[in-house]
Amino acid sequence: MDCLEFQQQLPELYGSRTSLADHPHVVDCENCAALVRDLEYIAEQAKFLLPIHDPSPRVWEKISASLPPRSRADDDPRRVRNRNSGRLRRCSRRRLSDAWGRSIC
Amino acid sequence: MNIPQGEPQKPKPSNQHLRRNPPIAGEAEAIQSAQAGNATSFEFLYSLHKRRVYSLCLRMLGNVAEAEDLTQEAFLQLYRKIGTFRGDSAFSTWLHRLAVNVVLMHLRKKGLPQVSLEETLEPSQDDGPRKDIGARDLVLSGSIDRVTLERAVENLPPGYRLVFVLHDVEGYEHNEIAEMLECSIGNSKSQLHKARMKLRDLLHSGQRKEMAS
Repeated sequence: MDCLEFQQQLPELYGSRTSLADHPHVVDCENCAALVRDLEYIAEQAKFLLPIHDPSPRVWEKISASLPPRSRADDDPRRVRNRNSGRLRRCSRRRLSDAWGRSIC
Repeated sequence: MNIPQGEPQKPKPSNQHLRRNPPIAGEAEAIQSAQAGNATSFEFLYSLHKRRVYSLCLRMLGNVAEAEDLTQEAFLQLYRKIGTFRGDSAFSTWLHRLAVNVVLMHLRKKGLPQVSLEETLEPSQDDGPRKDIGARDLVLSGSIDRVTLERAVENLPPGYRLVFVLHDVEGYEHNEIAEMLECSIGNSKSQLHKARMKLRDLLHSGQRKEMAS
């Protein structure tokens, strides 16, 4: 097998094995051995490319603007109950003050 | 560690580390809360995952404006679909796949990378196998930092970059890539190989410029 044949088979060879260091042609050919080392090094280093980019703040602004309007009910159901009970108490006092003609607070 | 005799060790998939998803504090609760419609919890999930989703989009597209638009679209889809997340896989894996699909749909509409993916295995003049690589015997091992590699990836042609990012960076297998990109497994392997060869050329030329300066 010459270098051209070996290189033409590389896509399939890599699909079936993780390293070609012990391939007979690689053992005998320093050129192709250097090529294989470089390609395997690139593949290895690619695994460690971490996510390093943050989107600009306007991305969240656009997302937020596209979401349904946030109601206070979204935040905490317990606050909803307390809020509603406060409204009920205020309504009750108002009705009583109207009925009695004076504030009872 | 004692390994019982006669029991072979199973080799780990080479990309397994890419699929590791260590639990993030508070994420599980935020997911449940967001599924119930809590907007604050959804914002928390955005803050946890925005970097990975955006980096993925940017690497696949090579364009900041497009990457931001598609990051936005990915999270809006997340908002619409989060109720369907059942916990069969890690949330980040599920979101990651959603983001990949968003990018791929966008690319299909544009049609650009698919042109190169339809390429046959016939080598082109620039990227085909070289008979003599004796002149290119610079050894890269240990000499390339990740920033340099990142920049080289940005300079790949779109079709090569797409397959390289999906396979070598994100850890998808060729059969998965072939299904996602609607090409053959052979094409996926060929594009990956050409991407790595192109990267090698880019990195070599970068080294030569450094040595010359």
